[in-house]
Amino acid sequence: MHKLLTFGIIALAGILRGELLFDNDPLEIKPKPEDEEIETTFTFKNGGDKSLAITGLESSCSCLEASLDKQIYAAGEKGTGKAKFKISSFVGRHEKTLHIFTNDPDHTDQVLNFVLEVPAVVSIEPKLLQWIVGVKPEPKEFIVKMVGQDAMKITNVTATRQNVTFEYKEIIPGREYKVILTPTDTSGVTIGALKIETDSKIPKYQRQMAFFSIVRPDQVEKPVK
Amino acid sequence: MIAREALLLVLCTLLAATATHFLHPHAPIWYAAQEPLREDEVTLEIIAQRWHNDVLWLDARPRTQYDAGHVPGALLLNEEAADQLLQEHFEKLQDNTNPIIVYCGSEACQASRKIAQYLKDKLPTTQIYVLRGGWNAWTKLHGLGVKSH
Repeated sequence: MHKLLTFGIIALAGILRGELLFDNDPLEIKPKPEDEEIETTFTFKNGGDKSLAITGLESSCSCLEASLDKQIYAAGEKGTGKAKFKISSFVGRHEKTLHIFTNDPDHTDQVLNFVLEVPAVVSIEPKLLQWIVGVKPEPKEFIVKMVGQDAMKITNVTATRQNVTFEYKEIIPGREYKVILTPTDTSGVTIGALKIETDSKIPKYQRQMAFFSIVRPDQVEKPVK
Repeated sequence: MIAREALLLVLCTLLAATATHFLHPHAPIWYAAQEPLREDEVTLEIIAQRWHNDVLWLDARPRTQYDAGHVPGALLLNEEAADQLLQEHFEKLQDNTNPIIVYCGSEACQASRKIAQYLKDKLPTTQIYVLRGGWNAWTKLHGLGVKSH
């Protein structure tokens, strides 16, 4: 029986060898609204009993570039990595992963998780206005709220389609606007958008889009629960 | 006696392997090679057969990779600058009547699926698919694509 125990211990050691143990997983990152990029470091340890060679890094997102301080980590050795996120389009919570590939057959692909919380500056609701083909073209509205620290105004609105009319009204100066949109007709399927310009000091918030469509009944966008 | 011990050892090994497969958070799926296409996935063969390659390609990789080589005619639309790139391409997308195929680097990347999801509520009347195997699959069949100038 003692042979069995010995075997079990060796088998368990085999399972553990070469495993990367991250000090923080998931790693939470909180950029400022104006950040286009944010860089963070992460630390880990080779928690196994053998040295570990890193054979590759792969991110789940085109927005993430990562690197490690070296390629081979001895048993028990600590390491540091850098992760740089390009976040110009991100708002809200985003979960991303970094795959770290190693030469350990038991741990060829180890994953570090990141959580990005990017504060919103502009909110447009609903995300999409829809009409059904053939139905009377009633006006519908977007509510645009400036939810960031600084107030900002809508300076211009244009449409990507000719077959709609629109107007915008200030509800709370610098904070809330109503954009009313009406199709001139609903005779055919149409996809379009309003381009909303603001006087934001942050370039990426100077142009926003609000989407509309005229669809057949079977194409109606179901609200996300 | 020896045979019994050997049998026990084999059974223990099998037990440990089974436990690892089911309990390990990063255990690879053993059936990956035969994984069926998801509802929103297509292969290059399907694109050729179903649409005679008459599709609109969207490249969801980083700009540097897009510039180095992409499917001819593909528009760049990646997660890191999705809103800005969508504003650039929207007029073309709103008039497009062909299916949209989004690709990223390889089988493992998730960027193409994220972009497909990002577009679905903005272009509700358009068919949007993800290319199985991504850019790797395309280059295996067609070579290195075209570079940006």
